[in-house]
Amino acid sequence: MRSIKIENISKAYDGELILENLSLEIPAGQFFALLGPSGCGKTSLLRLIAGLESVDSGKIYLGDQDITDQPIYERRINTVFQQYALFPHLTVFENVAYSLRIKGVKEASLREKVYDVIKMVRLNGLENKFPRSLSGGQQQRVALARAIVSEPEVLLLDEPLAALDLKLKEEMLIELIDLQDKLRTTFIYVTHDQFEALTVADKMAIMHTNGGIEQLGTPKQIYEFPVSRFVANFVGNTNIIEGTLKDSEGKKFVDVAGLGLFSVDAPVEKAWMVPSNNVYMSVRPEKIFISKKGRTEFSNHLEGIVTDIIYYGRSTQYNVRLKNEQRLMVFEQNEEHFPQESIDYYDKVNLYFQKENVVLLEY
Amino acid sequence: MKFIRKLFTEETAFIFSCPAFLWEFLFLYLPLTALAMYSFFVYSPVLQKFTFSIHYYLQVLDTLYFRAILNSLILASATAFVCFIIAYPVAFFLAMRITPKYRSFFLFTLILPSWTSLVIQIYAWFFLLEKEGFLSQILYTLGILPQSAHLLNNYFSIMVGMVSCFLPFMILPIYVTLDKMDPELLEASADLGANRTDTFKRVIFPLSLPGVYTGFLLVFIPVFGEFAIPSMLGGSTYVFWGSLIVDKFLRARDWPFGAALAIVGIMLIVLIILSFVMIGRLMTHLRTIKVVKNKN
Repeated sequence: MRSIKIENISKAYDGELILENLSLEIPAGQFFALLGPSGCGKTSLLRLIAGLESVDSGKIYLGDQDITDQPIYERRINTVFQQYALFPHLTVFENVAYSLRIKGVKEASLREKVYDVIKMVRLNGLENKFPRSLSGGQQQRVALARAIVSEPEVLLLDEPLAALDLKLKEEMLIELIDLQDKLRTTFIYVTHDQFEALTVADKMAIMHTNGGIEQLGTPKQIYEFPVSRFVANFVGNTNIIEGTLKDSEGKKFVDVAGLGLFSVDAPVEKAWMVPSNNVYMSVRPEKIFISKKGRTEFSNHLEGIVTDIIYYGRSTQYNVRLKNEQRLMVFEQNEEHFPQESIDYYDKVNLYFQKENVVLLEY
Repeated sequence: MKFIRKLFTEETAFIFSCPAFLWEFLFLYLPLTALAMYSFFVYSPVLQKFTFSIHYYLQVLDTLYFRAILNSLILASATAFVCFIIAYPVAFFLAMRITPKYRSFFLFTLILPSWTSLVIQIYAWFFLLEKEGFLSQILYTLGILPQSAHLLNNYFSIMVGMVSCFLPFMILPIYVTLDKMDPELLEASADLGANRTDTFKRVIFPLSLPGVYTGFLLVFIPVFGEFAIPSMLGGSTYVFWGSLIVDKFLRARDWPFGAALAIVGIMLIVLIILSFVMIGRLMTHLRTIKVVKNKN
């Protein structure tokens, strides 16, 4: 397990700049997720780290070793491909044994290693099957086993679960976490699915459509304290409300046209937090309390009409139309079979949220 | 009516393939049966009737005639092998190194010669290789070839003709298997530590084997029965199965013996194709067994 350090790399395809002066440090032994929308260059970044393609400029380090010009087959970095890329003419056993055969590992020790890994990914009994006769989930495990058997320093996973159904995906995510825990290899997981990234990552980076890293942090930091409107929208659901920043006796307020003043909190002071500047407020839907009754313990209050009710099972989403015609999204946990208060279409409701739960974002 | 309507809607494919079936039956299977009949019956002028006999088959086994079949076998194998050696790099180059934009042009140039008649191709080689020919004269003048040596009427000239005529049939199937190979497999191989040689040995070549098999059969079978090339470029030094049959049917008028020769040859080809299929299956099977053994 070693870290990956990327220094000012740039990469263009057919004259189109995909990555520009990108720098990123991925700590050793962590489960790192690279999250971004399709076409943001995250797969290109992964291919550069793997050595499948070479950088136009910049440096890539594995630990403190410069691997920028090291050919792919010498890099101790393995990849789990999105389409698995299993060798169709080889059995599960031989697929897994591939890297060891290349290295010329002795038969006895090779067999031991392959069977260890096959057991680890729970493929016992399928050693002699050919990939085409396996299910998607099983093929996924073979791809995983094949990539970890040679004990790489870094394992790259390129949207590895994209082809699996939701239930299997959830299972595999937990297995991946356990596997990383056991191996302590640095995992770099590329995905466009924020649910996957939040689930597996110790630390994650959000890539913007323009190929830059927008935010770096733990899943919790990124979800609770997004640094930009893009991150707030891309990771999870949120309500964005536009307003003007006001300052009164050291306390911050946002003045929203048609809705009035909202008290907000800014744990970290930023240069753009100047009174009378336009700002965005981001409030996560689950942090809004919805009720037909009046409450007093909240710092912010809104009124609106329920326009949609979407029942998800464990939670219900209410879309509420405010006085200024903006719609807010509210999630409520379905904690009881028979809730004390039932909210119906076109009910007039009160929405409450605490100022600590508002994130101020640059306009 | 209902039956006819059903035939025309659900069995369209069957109906449209009927002419082909009929054609095959009338002009391939029926004559083949007639051929087989000829080969098994001896006409006795004394009794004035046909009697069943394997006389002609025993005659085929005679050294002289069997040598001809053996010659054809060796020539077909050698041609297929030489074609493979030449075709593989070409197919590899086309599929792996040429950008798709230019591929059709290269493929076109490869196939172009086969658009001309086989006889014209052979005559072209004839005039190139004969003693007064362009190639011979150059080699004589440069002193590379002694005046006593000939380029024509030997095994070399036969092979040249065979390979040049049948090379496209080896290149195309290999090219197709290489072309449709998932490039991600090559990336995966490199990613797992294999250099180019390893990747070729362990992934590209094994996966292209079906193309090699197909190419081998496409070259082997026609070369085995070919008679025009050996007789025009090979003189009378070598006797091959194809030319022998022509000789028996057209010159000696010994139809029963010609038929027996043809049947034996056809059987041999069928046997070779079957063994090819079996070898392919066996290889897959052996790979599995090897792993089972590993486990214990």
